[in-house]
Amino acid sequence: MSGRARVRARGLARSPSAAEAGRTCAPPSRSRSPSPSPTSVDTGNNEASSTSSFVGTSRMSQSCKYVVSSGDTGCTFTERGGKIRQDFKDLSVCTREKLAHVRDCKRGSSGVPVKLVANLFSLDLPLDWQLYQYHVAYVPDIESRRLRIALLYSHKALSNKAKAFDGAILFLSQKLEAKVTELSSETSRGNTVKMTITLTGELPASSPVCTQVFSIIFRKILKKLAMYQIGRNFYKPSEPVEIPQHKLSLWPGFAISVSQFESRLLFTADVSYKVLRNETVLEFMAGICQETGMSCFTQMCEKQLLGLVVLTRYNNKTYRIDDIDWSVKPTHTFRKKDGTEVTYVDYYKQQYDITLSDLNQPVLVSLLKSKRNDSTEARVAHLIPELCFLTGLTRQATTDFQLMKAVAGETRLSPMGRQQRLARLADDIQRNKDARFELESWGLHFGCQMSLTGRVLPSEKILMQDHVCQPGSAAEWSKDMRNCKILSAQSLNKWLIICSNRDEKVTEDFLHCLRRVGSSMGFNVDYPKIIKVQENPAAFLSALQRHVDPNVQLVMCILPSNQKSYYDSIKKYLSSVCPVPSQCALTRTLNKQGMVMSIATKIAMQMACKLGGELWAVEIPLKSLMVVGIDVCKDEFNKGMVVVGFVASINPGITRWFSRCILQRTTTDVADCLKVFMTGALNRWHRHNCSLPARVVVYRDGVGDGQLQTLLEYEVPQLLSSVTEASSNTSAKLSVIVVRKKCTPRFFTEMNRSVQNPPLGTVVDSEATRPEWYDFYLISQAAGQGTVTPTHYNVIYDDNGLKPDHMQRLTFKLCHLYYNWPGLISIPAPCQYAHKLTFLVAQNIHKEPSLELANSLFYL
Amino acid sequence: MDHCEVLSKKVIEFKPPVYEQRYYFVKNLVNQHGHKKIADLGFGDATLLWMLKYHRCVQYLVGVDIAAKPFEWGGGRLSPGVGSYIIPRELDLTITLYRGSAVQKDSRLCGFDLITCIELIEHLDSEDLAKFPEVVFGYFSPGMVVISTPNSEFNPLFPASTFRDPDHRFEWNRKQFQMWALDVAKLYHYSVEFSGVGDPPAGAEHVGYCTQIGVFQKNRAKPTESSISEPEEHVYEVVSFLWEVYTTSYPSLQQSKYFRFTLSIEAVKSIDLMKSRFLRGPRRKEGDRVVPLGSCTPQDGLTEAQRAEIEQSPKPYSVGEKFYVPLERLLAYPKVNLLVAGSTEKLRTVLAEGLRLNGDQTAVQVELVDYRTQRLFDEHLVSPALES
Repeated sequence: MSGRARVRARGLARSPSAAEAGRTCAPPSRSRSPSPSPTSVDTGNNEASSTSSFVGTSRMSQSCKYVVSSGDTGCTFTERGGKIRQDFKDLSVCTREKLAHVRDCKRGSSGVPVKLVANLFSLDLPLDWQLYQYHVAYVPDIESRRLRIALLYSHKALSNKAKAFDGAILFLSQKLEAKVTELSSETSRGNTVKMTITLTGELPASSPVCTQVFSIIFRKILKKLAMYQIGRNFYKPSEPVEIPQHKLSLWPGFAISVSQFESRLLFTADVSYKVLRNETVLEFMAGICQETGMSCFTQMCEKQLLGLVVLTRYNNKTYRIDDIDWSVKPTHTFRKKDGTEVTYVDYYKQQYDITLSDLNQPVLVSLLKSKRNDSTEARVAHLIPELCFLTGLTRQATTDFQLMKAVAGETRLSPMGRQQRLARLADDIQRNKDARFELESWGLHFGCQMSLTGRVLPSEKILMQDHVCQPGSAAEWSKDMRNCKILSAQSLNKWLIICSNRDEKVTEDFLHCLRRVGSSMGFNVDYPKIIKVQENPAAFLSALQRHVDPNVQLVMCILPSNQKSYYDSIKKYLSSVCPVPSQCALTRTLNKQGMVMSIATKIAMQMACKLGGELWAVEIPLKSLMVVGIDVCKDEFNKGMVVVGFVASINPGITRWFSRCILQRTTTDVADCLKVFMTGALNRWHRHNCSLPARVVVYRDGVGDGQLQTLLEYEVPQLLSSVTEASSNTSAKLSVIVVRKKCTPRFFTEMNRSVQNPPLGTVVDSEATRPEWYDFYLISQAAGQGTVTPTHYNVIYDDNGLKPDHMQRLTFKLCHLYYNWPGLISIPAPCQYAHKLTFLVAQNIHKEPSLELANSLFYL
Repeated sequence: MDHCEVLSKKVIEFKPPVYEQRYYFVKNLVNQHGHKKIADLGFGDATLLWMLKYHRCVQYLVGVDIAAKPFEWGGGRLSPGVGSYIIPRELDLTITLYRGSAVQKDSRLCGFDLITCIELIEHLDSEDLAKFPEVVFGYFSPGMVVISTPNSEFNPLFPASTFRDPDHRFEWNRKQFQMWALDVAKLYHYSVEFSGVGDPPAGAEHVGYCTQIGVFQKNRAKPTESSISEPEEHVYEVVSFLWEVYTTSYPSLQQSKYFRFTLSIEAVKSIDLMKSRFLRGPRRKEGDRVVPLGSCTPQDGLTEAQRAEIEQSPKPYSVGEKFYVPLERLLAYPKVNLLVAGSTEKLRTVLAEGLRLNGDQTAVQVELVDYRTQRLFDEHLVSPALES
């Protein structure tokens, strides 16, 4: 059943008797506590929904204090055993304790020390600080969470204490006198309620639960600083960056978190921007209608809108569009909580003074997350397209070069700009009276920005066929290797070029250059057979079908336009139907004045790789080492499918690769096929080297938040069993390293009162790392503009027992080996290869490439 | 000021709840009269203020409550929501909350169009109640006052026979309230009308509404009220007893940065629709210009007359990779027209700040490229930095 169908089915399954629990079509803006509670509780600043709800039936002035609220943080105690924030989950996976060789020290030694500042701030607590956890029971029992909270908060005994309470679990920073405290409060109906507060735990600051409580405290503080929470981050809409040409606003803000780092509790903040489209969903639909016409209008709307997140105009909430109900119109009525019926039009007029202009628009349907686990009732919200805005960029928008350039231009921040924003945030937190009061009442002290010492690893030499070059800059060495011969290349003798009739001249000119640069790099390119065809994708495809046979080494297609269908059909045919390496290039690119030689050089290198050639190498001191890169990504069309890419080196020099890819039907990003791939790679290694590798180091990319435990329990054993079964005597030693490109820590070097990106090869393996992991950060790519993001490496399994220093240096070496770019990249080459492969399959082929291509980098 | 109804569902159930009916009563008055400055005395949990902030006419909202707490009152739902930044209000809105007694003469409450006292007076002790008319009607002297209070004749219908709330000092019957109200109105030159919310159940109509309401309207000596109200605001000697605990202002089109962005966005939306029709429809080359042959006017959301007006204005055209829309054309779009009040000059000045205009400043210039058919895959030129 499709998601849409499910939404429908669930919507229909509502029984009238269940109407009490979760009314369906009430606009979400007016949810109210189920019973008419006599006290009014404003859940305060913590809950986005509070902005919109009619709370309480009274105008009791005693408003409730802050409440630990859910938001989308999913704290254990607020959601009572519900979803834990995924990245917190990973932090409780302690992999380091099993790795004896790094239990005491995981720091490397080589390289030159470098002073760094980080986007981390110390949070100091008294040494004996503890968090006290209490359970609160009510007699008589009270169902309403708001009322429970109000009763407890209004009690004198707790009024001056820092507290966080979700209706059942109470956290205090000061211990109550007795283990069990009995309090009684009176509702304004005059009923006496007894509250029994029982101590259930005393938690040290390092406890993961404390981390959650700290996050809640900071969430509250940022709201005091006039920031709005959208998703997990906080934004300042009052200082927007506006890009009217693209109907976009960017709201500056921060992604923040508080957690236990290597030796202390730290507050992390990174600058983030929220992209908002100044276009209502109704206007977006009108655009679709104008483009596609009415015939497939509804399908196109559903295709483009379902799954997107919208923001409503009248409250602070975001909703995911799960369905569009075309049968409901704004003139239809819905039943409000109090039982009265009202049309959407009247409702929005009455409530928000908004006049709906289009009375024929459908309603958007969003499934509401139920806050209580016991509620089996799926609640849905009906939203009016005219009152909803899209957040973020649609997939199409991200392919708009102009738009992306405009966004990047505004959001790219230099290290100095970023540092200034951070300093301002820290300053705001320290100066704001309310923020200070909040922190003090918990016994927290917001300290200064962290500085730490990293190391810059020695630079690597690039080994060419008869030349060793020490690049001027490791960021890019294309100039350094000009006139150098590449390590090895197969001669290109039998190959085809397909181009449109009009492009014959361009093709000839280009071919001339290609052969010239080829010969200078030691790659012999013979004259191909040139096939001229009509200017349409079908003509290209039929030329392929007619002329490509298994003896053809390579097919080059000169494409007249960048229509996706050209590329997709060519790649699909030549990757799986008739497996032959292929090279596409745009006429427009080949026509670029003054760039022909450098373009021809790049294409020649790609073609050499596609034939199984090797371009360059670095020194690898380990003599029998296989490195593997794994990446996982979602199929573009079929969201239920994931593409797993696996790329392994098959020679000791790490210049030849074995690449496999599979599409698998699973909702998680966890690879299922690793054992088969690993065994295939080991066989391939054996065939080339007549032995098995002594060591295997696997770099796993594409890991989502909260998947660490699954990786350990599910993927590592697959790899391990394949390695063990490959040999009857001594099997290869295995290491598994999780690679994350998106991590929050940022590092800067201080230079004459300004800050800059750290030098290439900077490693950080202290302070900003986690005590429970064997992890380090490595900056291996140059950021031309903007601030560099370090890559985080987490060694989750390690039989090899390499010294941390060697592990770091090996990782750095591997970042030099991506043949599509003569320079350093942000992740180890095998990961980038795996990424490129999965991306091609997920975007263009949607099919497993043929095994015959596995020995070449056909996907570059 | 707890004014909750101790209602037993078995006995009487109001739909919608009676507190909500009271708020809607006020909202209706605001809709009728278009009040600009409103103060709520005894704002409690600020639900009424929150409901009033959505009214387009309201520009200044003030709440006073003896128990307003500064820190606990982050103002939550009174603050502008994210939506208010995406679609700013037409008019400015400032919301301010004060802590203090409603019977203190604070000059900041003078000159209002409406002062509401919802379920307030029954909480006042006799001393404060005595001061109340003089302060609210005599000193604050707003254009309109709304006072609601329980109707004690209704009480026998409730199970409890005492007051509806332990903090109530009195609960009046209709006669008591009306006598008090008429005296006050007479003394301070107001006229008063009586009404209420919370209909009695069938068979008990004689008890009247659950909540009785008096709407007091100031008698105007001169009919030209608007001309007086402006200077009046400055007459008061500044007296402040109330402690400001919260204040916020909303983004609005009266602020130039929001106006500029809203106008630019509205223009770009119209231009995008034109461009999309231009690219899909037949066109002809005229000199260096390419002009559309058909209509470039959207079908939806416009009346016949509006479409005709757009059709008569100068057509958009393209030159090379650029698309041009004459300002006159944009001005024919009702939303754009409304924003600049029909002024081409204003449109030109404001758009020039955010968008690109052509050489002689008569048309907006945008890229002709249609991103929906664009695709970047030029495989050999993509550096890894761009891929990730």
